[in-house]
Amino acid sequence: MFRQDRVRSTLALALLVAGAVYAYSASYFGKELLAEIAVFAILAMSLDFLAGFAGLVTLGHAAFYGAGAYVYAVLTVNHGVAAGFAMLAAAAVCAIAGWLIGAVTYRVRGIFLIMATLAFGQMSYVYIFENRALGGDDGMSGVPRLDLSAIGIDLSNSANFAFTLVLIAGLTYVLFAWLLSSGFGQALVGMQRNEQRMRALGLPVLRYKAAAFAIAGAIAGMAGTLGAQHNMFVSPDYLHWTTSGLVLVLVILGGLESLAGPALGAAVVIALKHEISTYTVHWAFFIGVFLIVAVLAGGRGLYGLIDGVVRRFSRSKSPEPHDGDDRRQGDA
Amino acid sequence: MATIGGKVMLEARGLSKHFGALAVTNGVSLSLAAGERHAIIGPNGAGKTTLFNLLSGELAPDVGSVIIDGTDVGRLPPDARARFGMSRSFQKNNLFAGLSVRENLGLAAMVGLGLSRCFWRSPMQDAEVVRRIEVTAGWVNLEGLLEADTGDLSYGARRQLEVGLALAERPKVLLLDEPTSGMSPEETVAMLDMLKELPGNLTMLIIEHDMDLVYGIAERITVLNYGEVVYEGTPEEVRASGEVRQIYLGDWADRDA
Repeated sequence: MFRQDRVRSTLALALLVAGAVYAYSASYFGKELLAEIAVFAILAMSLDFLAGFAGLVTLGHAAFYGAGAYVYAVLTVNHGVAAGFAMLAAAAVCAIAGWLIGAVTYRVRGIFLIMATLAFGQMSYVYIFENRALGGDDGMSGVPRLDLSAIGIDLSNSANFAFTLVLIAGLTYVLFAWLLSSGFGQALVGMQRNEQRMRALGLPVLRYKAAAFAIAGAIAGMAGTLGAQHNMFVSPDYLHWTTSGLVLVLVILGGLESLAGPALGAAVVIALKHEISTYTVHWAFFIGVFLIVAVLAGGRGLYGLIDGVVRRFSRSKSPEPHDGDDRRQGDA
Repeated sequence: MATIGGKVMLEARGLSKHFGALAVTNGVSLSLAAGERHAIIGPNGAGKTTLFNLLSGELAPDVGSVIIDGTDVGRLPPDARARFGMSRSFQKNNLFAGLSVRENLGLAAMVGLGLSRCFWRSPMQDAEVVRRIEVTAGWVNLEGLLEADTGDLSYGARRQLEVGLALAERPKVLLLDEPTSGMSPEETVAMLDMLKELPGNLTMLIIEHDMDLVYGIAERITVLNYGEVVYEGTPEEVRASGEVRQIYLGDWADRDA
């Protein structure tokens, strides 16, 4: 069950502060990297909400990311809609799409849900790829950024832009932490632990799964609008299943069902990817090795590692047991 | 049918279910007055589990209806029936693994109170949820184990929690599917004592295959065989019935008769 404990809060706050400091101290390239990390941290948290907490593991999360990016690009570039309104519209479209996917797949579980969402994802990829009106495989360029000059912030400045994205990632964390502490969030965790029991207790499972998909979809769509603004360009690659796979890797490496872990996973993997790719094009190989080690080392990812160290440290200092994160277990 | 006073809380009318050519449940009717303790017994293969699933909503009947407190829920899924006041336990423990007893009962109480629709506050601190957790834990004798992980509980304690989850919803009708299955004789006695101590206004239907277990609890007993009701009466009547002895003991019943 989700608890806003000390380890989680400290990690989230540390990431937020590190991001904010880095936004104004890094080189130009570092700022670009930070913006990318923030976008993927938002995506990874939204997938952890869906896969880790609600137990709906999917391989189609990039479809929401891409759909959000394209809705934003089409509205701003082709129709001249204001950026802020286009962002809200993109999130709304993704929420509706998420609701529908959740409702349609509510009986499907485990590997079959992964396959079903993979199919949805690839269908939307092919649709965009083949659609000339959306630029086909060339994508669309000239995507504008949000105009915050009214409150004196220039987002064409890469430090300001990176800082804003880090702040939005922080807000995303707060939003999910708040949702997961609520009755709604606890019901999702209960459903992940024992769906049959929750049904027997009176929970209408379809509505809760659809709502979880809608919320995760809306936030992933929001990440898409931010990704589009960061790159100032959208392409079908946003929706490709390898993007979904990367997000799932971030979540598993960071630590499923930990919320702060996936954000850390995004920072570590994307930074490593750029570091390693200066030496070799086979960066994915090293990330793969890293992932295998993380899974073999208990399956709780980087967050589990940190939590374990803190627990051992606090136990040696005080006899009081530390109230840590729950482990996943088989049925009782 | 039931003649004990008060309104009818649970009723089944002409429930039938066929799997292919096999009639697993055949025209079963039942009626439980508010507060009645009713048991359904029958030998293995009598159709007890199918009847239970028809009542709880896991299966839809071919014909017939299920009525909870005046509402026909015969076509509704299990979660909707639960919202009309029907709660069930499972024959095989079906708990929230990896969570504490408190969290298990809290989830059940929270769903029962409709707090799963609440987006703005944590239900585990809700005064009514906390109260329900404590009262329910008292009913199922788990007051001292509230902070224990379900994985660390004994089998007997897990069975108690299984019933506790169904009770934390404060149901009008409680369906118990073989509550003592897999228990040792001592644990069985403890479970029966616990069930006897539950609030008197709770309407309870217990499905069991062991006749002796239900004599101490049930006010009325329905005997099922080959999917049909073959006898209904008080425990004394059932105990005295030659027909029931015949079903349970076959020719053995005639030897000492």
